[in-house]
Amino acid sequence: MMEPLRLTALPAKEVPMRQARFEPYVDNGGTVLAIAGSDYCVIAGDTRMSDGGYGIQTRQYTKIFQLTNKCVIATSGMQADTLALRKRLETVLSRYQKEHGKPMSTPAISQYLSNTLYQKRFFPYYTFNLVCGVDEDGVGCIWTYDAVGSHERVKMSSQGSGNQLVQPLLDNQVGKFNQRIVDGPRELSSEQAVSLAKDAITSAGERDIYTGDFADIVVINSTGVHWEKFNLKLD
Amino acid sequence: MTSVGSGYDLSVSTFSPDGKIFQIEYANKAVENSGTVVAIRAKDGVVIGVEKIIPSKMLESTSNRRIHSIDLHVGIGIAGFLTDARQLVLRARDEAKQYKQVYGQPIPIKVLSQRIASFCHAFTLYGSVRPFGCSITVVGIDSYGPQLFLIEPSGSCIGYFGTAMGKGKQAAKNELEKVKFADITCREAIKLVSKIIYSVHDEVKDKDFELELSWISTESNNVHQMVPAPLKDEAETLAKQALEEANM
Amino acid sequence: MSSKHFRFPVFGQVDYFGQPQHSAASYTPSEEKQRTTDPIVTGSSVIAIKYNGGVVMGCDTLCSYGSLARFNNIQRVKQFGPKTIVGYSGEHSDFQSITQLLDDLVIDDQCIDDKSQLSTEEIWNYLARVLYNRRNKVDPLWNNLVVMGFDKKTDKSFLGKVDLYGTCFKDDYIATGYGQHIALPLLRKAYSPDMTLEQAQKLITDCLRVLFYRDARSSKRVQLSYANANGMEISAPIELETYNWDIGEAAVKSFDQV
Repeated sequence: MMEPLRLTALPAKEVPMRQARFEPYVDNGGTVLAIAGSDYCVIAGDTRMSDGGYGIQTRQYTKIFQLTNKCVIATSGMQADTLALRKRLETVLSRYQKEHGKPMSTPAISQYLSNTLYQKRFFPYYTFNLVCGVDEDGVGCIWTYDAVGSHERVKMSSQGSGNQLVQPLLDNQVGKFNQRIVDGPRELSSEQAVSLAKDAITSAGERDIYTGDFADIVVINSTGVHWEKFNLKLD
Repeated sequence: MTSVGSGYDLSVSTFSPDGKIFQIEYANKAVENSGTVVAIRAKDGVVIGVEKIIPSKMLESTSNRRIHSIDLHVGIGIAGFLTDARQLVLRARDEAKQYKQVYGQPIPIKVLSQRIASFCHAFTLYGSVRPFGCSITVVGIDSYGPQLFLIEPSGSCIGYFGTAMGKGKQAAKNELEKVKFADITCREAIKLVSKIIYSVHDEVKDKDFELELSWISTESNNVHQMVPAPLKDEAETLAKQALEEANM
Repeated sequence: MSSKHFRFPVFGQVDYFGQPQHSAASYTPSEEKQRTTDPIVTGSSVIAIKYNGGVVMGCDTLCSYGSLARFNNIQRVKQFGPKTIVGYSGEHSDFQSITQLLDDLVIDDQCIDDKSQLSTEEIWNYLARVLYNRRNKVDPLWNNLVVMGFDKKTDKSFLGKVDLYGTCFKDDYIATGYGQHIALPLLRKAYSPDMTLEQAQKLITDCLRVLFYRDARSSKRVQLSYANANGMEISAPIELETYNWDIGEAAVKSFDQV
């Protein structure tokens, strides 16, 4: 009797590993930016929190968090990770204060944040940070990070969903790179920086759907940390 | 005291020739030095009263509590070392929580008491440990009605209608034996417990004391809690009056 | 690279001489840890708003099994302690396990007997930590939680939300599930902070009705929960007044008579 014809050359049917994995990350969007001068630092961040898609979860979530009276951290990315990171920094900072009898300096915070992010590089905090403030000499300073702790001290920077829109503007207006005519003094005054920050975040809100609602404008100088609210589009 | 045990009192893992474990006897002594604790199982609930002796006038009235809640429906009264008893209280809370997790209903008082007793008993078996220097009364209401159990350092666990522990144990027991437990209500029991505590308090030997009163009854919605201030004040005034009359 | 590196052979790249592949029948899932990858028995939207003097929350009583309306009378709100109510959408069993956690927490707090109680905000924060912790284990509790309460001492109402990532925020109005898409825009339009209880009640009911019309995983059996100076209350299930569907019923009857 003849064996039934079997197409042995055909591969066995693959059973797809159907396990819809839970995706542990969500991008809640938002833009933060900062401009540093010789005796000030200006930070701006919008307060919109998106649901990872087209929805807005809340219009009142502030992305800037005060760490000391010389330093704030501005974070965009995933809000739940941001909160965890903040709580961690907060406890470390209060312990530092108790152990050393003084608040941690802004440069020290910047290094500490880098270490914290790097330690979690295999399951990173999905956060994009700016550590901004004035250093021990009162000079404005900004550190800009990626999610796993690479960092750089800069004069101006932006992070988040509106980054691509804001960064070139800051490069041009604050860095004054590649300009043929540079008019006036090279450094912006604190007031000019605030004005530029407002324009920059408003501009980001024009095209970036994840940026809008309101903006926090923070100025840090020798007199402390000063907060201001600023309206953006509510669309 | 050294001759009493004659070498048999060094470890709970050794019996004495007449069948005693001296460390347990000593633990009972620690309980007898404590302020009196009286509990009554009434027909609608259970009441605990504690004579909390105040070693210093500077203590806050709420400190060193000798009555604790374990779950909504269970409370514990303590005689003996508070520190030892605290371990039992924490253990009891864990047991109650675990039971509820597994069976979805509040732990029966008997089960809880037996579990705590087993825990106590484990500390009478090994040379490396000592027994708990405390006795506790476990009170509560479950599906079987009001319940009252007494757990001793030996790990024994016995249900009662009325219990007394500590210094005034004997005197309090004499009073309790007169009680008709089938008829008494919690409100009456509160007054009676207060009266007993006040009457057994030894003013000469002991300094001030604070009366701690807790109850669990249908009137407290079957929740174990400290007796509300108005009820407690009334009971305390009556107890003081009774004491004065007796002294006259 | 040998052919066994190819998990999915492409036409013309078949390994004729290799080991026989596992057949579909002998396929067993690996010993990988089981975790919630999809919610199974799910509740749909929860919506809540603050009004002048308290908070109102509304949700239906349906828990679906996929597209099957499986459990029609499940209370999707629960009170924890004297001043907090939590409503959920998402996996029913996950919420039941959260319930155990919170009940234990409240009883622990009560046993301490120091006359302090967990505030609504503390419970909200605790939930955020629990859910964030589970997402860190990539083993989430599949819920959106709406936490509301009213503190009589400070006369302040509270309304906050936590999702399965641990994202948490407070707001004046909150919606979950389909409510995020359908009810939230309606709430934004109609909301005003000095609404009365009646206005707030009406707004919530209207939103639930719209959800019933459009969300196929919702029902018209709803419960409203209140937190205000009079305390906390979870209403008995109410049938929403909706478009009259009697024609359908009549049609079935006439079909019966044929």
